[in-house]
Amino acid sequence: MNFKVPIFDIKNLNFSASGINILSNVSLQIFNSQYIAIIGPNGGGKTTLVRLLLGLEKPSSGEIKIYGKKFSEFKQWHKIGYVPQRAAHVDRNFPATVLDIVNMGRTAQRKPFSKMSSKDKSLVEDAMKQMDIVHLKDKMVGTLSGGQRQRVMIARALASEPEVLILDEPNTGVDQSSQNRFYTLLRKLNKDKNITIVFITHDIGVIADDIARLFTVNEKVITCNNPKQALSCDEMSELYGIEAHLIHNHKHGH
Amino acid sequence: MTEMLSYDFMQRAFIAGIIIAVLASISGTFVVLKRYSMISETLAHSALVGVAVGLVAGYNPLWMAVVGALVSAWLIEYLRSNFTIYSDAVLAILLSGSLAIAVIIVSLGGTFNNSLFSYLFGSILSVSNEDVMSILIFGMVALGILLALSKEFYFIAYDEEVAKVSGIKVKLLNFVLVSVVAIIIALSIRVVGSLLIGALMVIPTVSALQYKFGFLKTSLLALVFAIFSVICGISLSYYFSLPSGATIVLSILFIFIVSLLINKKS
Repeated sequence: MNFKVPIFDIKNLNFSASGINILSNVSLQIFNSQYIAIIGPNGGGKTTLVRLLLGLEKPSSGEIKIYGKKFSEFKQWHKIGYVPQRAAHVDRNFPATVLDIVNMGRTAQRKPFSKMSSKDKSLVEDAMKQMDIVHLKDKMVGTLSGGQRQRVMIARALASEPEVLILDEPNTGVDQSSQNRFYTLLRKLNKDKNITIVFITHDIGVIADDIARLFTVNEKVITCNNPKQALSCDEMSELYGIEAHLIHNHKHGH
Repeated sequence: MTEMLSYDFMQRAFIAGIIIAVLASISGTFVVLKRYSMISETLAHSALVGVAVGLVAGYNPLWMAVVGALVSAWLIEYLRSNFTIYSDAVLAILLSGSLAIAVIIVSLGGTFNNSLFSYLFGSILSVSNEDVMSILIFGMVALGILLALSKEFYFIAYDEEVAKVSGIKVKLLNFVLVSVVAIIIALSIRVVGSLLIGALMVIPTVSALQYKFGFLKTSLLALVFAIFSVICGISLSYYFSLPSGATIVLSILFIFIVSLLINKKS
């Protein structure tokens, strides 16, 4: 694969809902094996941006390409692993074991009537091992803790052999030690498996050392290619007044 | 028991009833998990429009019921995706609208009599050989589709957006599921009746969910509950000369109550 083709390529994108501009004139590119964080205030458009990247919303104007293709032409959805914001708050009564959920990661690649092939099974097994949830596989998802459930959701995404993992504030409602463990896992996936990570968060400080690029979203999107410098980036503090917040978290996270 | 099974009409009722139990409980699992339970009520009333047309115009009422339910299912999906109307409001509007149309057609045709009554509450006596054949043919097609796509339907029921991002054609499959449910409901109204079929679709799954098993065990348990209540209900209907739909629904309600009590949070 030509690594110079960006995974996501957004040009002059605008998105408005009910006459209110959510995103204005956004252009950005996301390349293979980068570790990217998306930050910004609540209501600033972070989740909308991700939903646009995934084709769950249509832009009001502008263009989005995914692996160089339009959404209507793109077929290799297994390359995209998505862990939505509400992953930690699913329906507790849904009849699903951990294995049922991780198996869903193979659903789109299986033919009608087909059983799980040995390849499907080993991918599911590997994903559970990486997320350290093999011992939970027969447990009902509704009985797990927030941190465990989060790892199940990521395992489901990993089972489809993604090249990109998109996580929308996955740490909502997860305790601190699970969060730290989770950052270590993401770092490993990025470094060892070359998986591109796109991570939406409020709390940039703790992963500041890992991330390669930072997008700050507040209707407009500012790209910082050197996030460690970005912690004191004038442009950002001027536009969003978040400089102090970043430095504060950075100090406490280490 | 042997005496009951020596009658042709009872054999037909059991065959039709068990096929319907299988179809209703399997499709019901997805319908309940998608929080779509009310659609079965609406489609059952729309199927009555087909029955009314069939009775008045002299077409096979069961086939016409399938047409009525399918048209309604597609109309529901169309209204939900193209207009800003709440989903449950769409279901309520089509439910009463369909019933009104059915009653008017039957009144105009002057055939508001026992035959319509049997479609409202189910009647084992009225299941003909032709009905059993229709139920068998349509039923096998519906079952084939449900089994072929069960893993996709399950994923969509769990999380529609994540399923979409993983490459599953959610819109198309929702349309397929609603169509299959429409066919199953139309087939069921002979035995269970259009006012009561919703219960056979929803209650077995809701009862099975009380036991907190994974997907496969939950759907198998719902299947067992549905088959048991149909056998039980048809037998009661025979021995006490009661409408079969009502006895089937009371049997499944009994299972539901027992399931609730067994799994009561202590």
